Amino acid sequence: MKNKIKIHRAIHNLTQEQLATKIGISRQTVIAIESDKYLPSLGLAFKIAHLFKVKIEDIFLYEEIKN
Amino acid sequence: MNIKKYKQIRALVAFFISVTVSISVVQDSYLLAVAGVLTGMLFLILVRSKTKIVVDEREKTVREKAAQMTYAIFAPTIGLGSFVLTMFARGEFYYLESLGMVFTYLTLFIIALYSISYHFLNKKYGGNGDEE
Repeated sequence: MKNKIKIHRAIHNLTQEQLATKIGISRQTVIAIESDKYLPSLGLAFKIAHLFKVKIEDIFLYEEIKN
Repeated sequence: MNIKKYKQIRALVAFFISVTVSISVVQDSYLLAVAGVLTGMLFLILVRSKTKIVVDEREKTVREKAAQMTYAIFAPTIGLGSFVLTMFARGEFYYLESLGMVFTYLTLFIIALYSISYHFLNKKYGGNGDEE
């Protein structure tokens, strides 16, 4: 799973700290999501999409694992 | 107050407690140690109540995994330890045998606690499996 949070954050001129405060999570979690180390829950993903006023699939991109 | 400041204060309080306990050991005064530890604890509780600590879903996931790992390591280790102690110290080393019995009950308690909490949480999150 890839995400475009960093891009949307730059578009909205938000720092990691500001984004974290807006959606009620810690800055460490924002860093972890941006670097694909942590996959957010559906609720949190919707919250992020809602904040950036885009669809969830515009931020989170599902990649099928090829064997 | 943010988490960074809270961590700094916590380190300072830990330092204060360790110094107080060290002095109390040197002076052989347990009252000083108790007073030092209690003061430190009270101060930390006060500071913590003023701090905004965010416990989000990642933090909860980390805690879940840590608890799971702790159980997976602790339960078999203490279970095996209790078995070894009760088997090999039987009738010879009464102290070790008693310790083995304590470990046995502790192992049973942990397994029972895990089973009860698992059953409760499974029910809470709809894991009954009866409905279609």
